[in-house]
Amino acid sequence: MKKADTPVVKRSLFSWVFAGNLKLQLLLLVIIGAMVFARVVPLEMQKRIVNEAINLRSIDLLLRYCGIYLATVVFFSALKYLINIIQTIISQRATANMRKELYHHILTLPLGFFRNTQPGSVVNSLVGELTMPGNFVGMAVSAPVTNVLTLLAFAVYLFWLNPLLAAVSLSIYPIVVFLVPVLQKGVNRANKKRVDAARKLSSRIAESITGIHEVHGNGAYRIENNKYDRLVNRLEKIRVVWSLYRFAVKTSNSFFVSLGPFIVFILGGYLTIKGQLELGALVAFLSAQEKLYDPWKELIEFYQVYQDGAVTYRRTMEFFDAEPDHVIEPRDRGPYELEASVDVKDLSFVTDSGIHLLDGINLSLKPGEHLALVGFSGSGKSTLALCIGQLYKYTGGHVLIGDKEVGNLTKKDMIHNMGFVAQSPFIFEGSIEDNLLYACRARADGNGHGGDGLPSLDDIIAVLHQTGIFVDVLRFGLNTILVHDKHKDLVNTIIRVRENFQQDFGEDLSDYVEFFDENQYLFHSSVAENLIFGTPNENNFTEAQLCNNPYFADFLKQADLTRPLLSLGAELARQTVDILGNLPPDAVFFEQSPIGPEELDAFKVVVERLKRQKLHELSAEIREKLLQLAMRFVPGVHKMVALPAILENLILEGRALFREKITNDNPEAITFYDVSKYIYSQTILNNIFFGKTKIANPQAQEKINQSIIQLLIEEDLLETIIEIGMHYQVGTKGDKLSGGQQQKLAIARIFLKHPRILIMDEATSALDNTSQARIQNLLETRWKKKSTVISVVHRLDTIKNYDRVAVMKAGKIIEIGTYNELMARKGMLYELVGKK
Amino acid sequence: MNSSGRNEANPSSELEENLEVLRQTYFFSGLPLETLKVFAYLCTREKFKKDEYIFKQHEDDGRAFYIISGKARLEREDNQSAKEIRDCLTGEFIGGLTLLGEVRRLFSLRAVEETVCLILERERFTKAIEQFPNIMPRIFKAVAKNIDSWEERFLADRADLCGECMVNLGVSLI
Repeated sequence: MKKADTPVVKRSLFSWVFAGNLKLQLLLLVIIGAMVFARVVPLEMQKRIVNEAINLRSIDLLLRYCGIYLATVVFFSALKYLINIIQTIISQRATANMRKELYHHILTLPLGFFRNTQPGSVVNSLVGELTMPGNFVGMAVSAPVTNVLTLLAFAVYLFWLNPLLAAVSLSIYPIVVFLVPVLQKGVNRANKKRVDAARKLSSRIAESITGIHEVHGNGAYRIENNKYDRLVNRLEKIRVVWSLYRFAVKTSNSFFVSLGPFIVFILGGYLTIKGQLELGALVAFLSAQEKLYDPWKELIEFYQVYQDGAVTYRRTMEFFDAEPDHVIEPRDRGPYELEASVDVKDLSFVTDSGIHLLDGINLSLKPGEHLALVGFSGSGKSTLALCIGQLYKYTGGHVLIGDKEVGNLTKKDMIHNMGFVAQSPFIFEGSIEDNLLYACRARADGNGHGGDGLPSLDDIIAVLHQTGIFVDVLRFGLNTILVHDKHKDLVNTIIRVRENFQQDFGEDLSDYVEFFDENQYLFHSSVAENLIFGTPNENNFTEAQLCNNPYFADFLKQADLTRPLLSLGAELARQTVDILGNLPPDAVFFEQSPIGPEELDAFKVVVERLKRQKLHELSAEIREKLLQLAMRFVPGVHKMVALPAILENLILEGRALFREKITNDNPEAITFYDVSKYIYSQTILNNIFFGKTKIANPQAQEKINQSIIQLLIEEDLLETIIEIGMHYQVGTKGDKLSGGQQQKLAIARIFLKHPRILIMDEATSALDNTSQARIQNLLETRWKKKSTVISVVHRLDTIKNYDRVAVMKAGKIIEIGTYNELMARKGMLYELVGKK
Repeated sequence: MNSSGRNEANPSSELEENLEVLRQTYFFSGLPLETLKVFAYLCTREKFKKDEYIFKQHEDDGRAFYIISGKARLEREDNQSAKEIRDCLTGEFIGGLTLLGEVRRLFSLRAVEETVCLILERERFTKAIEQFPNIMPRIFKAVAKNIDSWEERFLADRADLCGECMVNLGVSLI
């Protein structure tokens, strides 16, 4: 992160103009100088063409002046283009820098800030609102300098031609300079009113639509219409005023500017008639006077960009103008290696509104001691853990780690010595491995890539075992589809063991697995898989391409499948859109859907079309879409539509027909399912089974796991599969993982870091009994005396072996001691345990 | 039973069947159809063999069940002795509270014959609720009413048999 003395939110908009752009801005100035010169030359040439070339009837001079004229025009255009390029680079760079620095700043803001801030407004600020200030920065030097210089150059030229005429015709501009800002203020005022009125109108609409049943129920159309109409009328008036002001700016500007030629004609004409001004000079004067308009217009536009940019910039920066609670990194030293003792003295934490969440807390832990914090929800146990972990900034008293005050330590010191598992841990998009190494990478180098101090595969596997996520990762590995020619040993072993596996476990697993059988419909495979019953070797037979493939289309027709499949596709589209149409793209909602979240909008259009048109009337494109959807239909998964028995039979017959046809026409195109061949279109697990798992209950899952793990151990493949499983993509916010898996992963990533102080805030609440007991056991055997543990506990049956138990109530520790001491005292803990 | 996805001559989809089931349970019956469809879609079906546990005492399995077919026995283990509480039959809805928060089972439920259950998991329920936050009050109302009428029935039918347990009555007062 870039160290800036002034925080980004305190920087002025102008500070971005030269920061990092100094060379480009200087270059711009040089180019602008050349350009202004190139702008005046044609005027002089005009004069000379009229006065000299035409007057003297000299073709040579005419050609020379016209040549110079043309050259400067070309030169001018090239420079103008160059300026645009540089401006774009500067404005994009400034926007990017603002975005980066503001984001870096936002991430360091205290947790409390985000309780009152919607993620949407952060997104909006970073993505949308910084564009306008960025545009201003791009123009900040070039626009005023170019236009002012041009204006000056023209003005000087005009004075040189005729001082009197110049003075009179330029006298208009001061009036405009005075008038435009006055009118612009009116524009701004009206604009603000417009935004407020529009907001009021929106909430009115939202209210009446939400309460539409009441409106209908009471027939209160007129009442609602009146309320709405009043607001619309008000908005109408404000918009009229707003527009009038805007046009007033535009009109007064162009009016005054247009007065220029009028003055030149009347005064210049008079002077020319009187012989005090040459005709050529008058022509040049008129041209120059006309050319004043462009730079002037650009200056006015620039003024508006500046107004908009400055307002947006100020609003955005003010919104995020908060300070991080703690320094992020130490400036001139490495992170401390802290002794893992914890001393809390008279600690208090008071919220902004004056509520005492913690009050007079005292406790002391030696390195390696384990403390359990218990109490009812709201008793302050999580708050205490968060204060010790520096996630909250305590408002009074002391927390010392080693002999250092936590409030004065930098974030880097803390993460170097401490691990924190949150109550509802967050998993980031990426692979299991990325998430496992998240804490280690952050500690190692902070940039998320490589670096020393990362754990080895053996360490990782050990932690996967300890936290109980091993089986999950194994399953992800087993559910992977292998790519051709990779993992050859694995493939060969699977083929070799497949038959024995079926003999050993086939009967046991038959309830949970649907084995590939040529004569049976596969309810857990797609229609396409049921028809082809093999792995495509040619691209045009893959599921995605199948419906584009004319050969396959012919086959469907021949097998009488086209129409029933179209009808199936239509039904699937209708039902799925009906259920999922308004839901967010979360994996939970889409794992049983044949339509992916990214296709949903397209299928909404299809469903609209289906309301108006019969199947045979649909366009070829929509028919193809519906066929494609039908091809994906897996009756065992997509429960919104039933597979009619008649279609099931047709598909089974189709399978035989397809096999016969393709074997004759193109035998290389498909490798049919064969127990002696690896099926590359299927997962590793399905290959081992030579079938597909049905949706199974946890007991079934357990049975499958046991048999598979036994096999993998025998064949020495466990590690390979785990490595493959670590590449499993967990989805946005880890939505492809269950709550338990997310929590185990969060614990694993902190265990891997092996911190001196471990803080767990109800870290095992989403785990089943076995996993919870496993982790508790691990803390007691592996971590005791090595790392200090502070654990906020929600289940009292796990606290017996902690060195200390602190019972909290209303922000205070009311008793602290060993489990046995407190139970013997028959105080609060005794009561809590009794209640449980 | 339909977990294979197979349907006979007159196919009604599993989703439609689930929807019918949910409309009959006190927990869901007051919800708007649009929302109910999403819950019906998120439900799964599982078959439990005889003597398999549907859930176990002390576990927080986080799932609510509706028995579509078969029979299951509610049991409770206390001081190493197992007591049979009662049989749960086809059409019974069990475990609505588990959807609302983490609750460890005070009983075990074991299939005494092949039993098919419609199941909704807490995680899925919670994700869906996030999308329709305004239905939560209706669910709370249904649950509160159900607890209250349960105790009312109990007091009317069984209160005399309570004896010493009398002092512990009043679950509807929580």
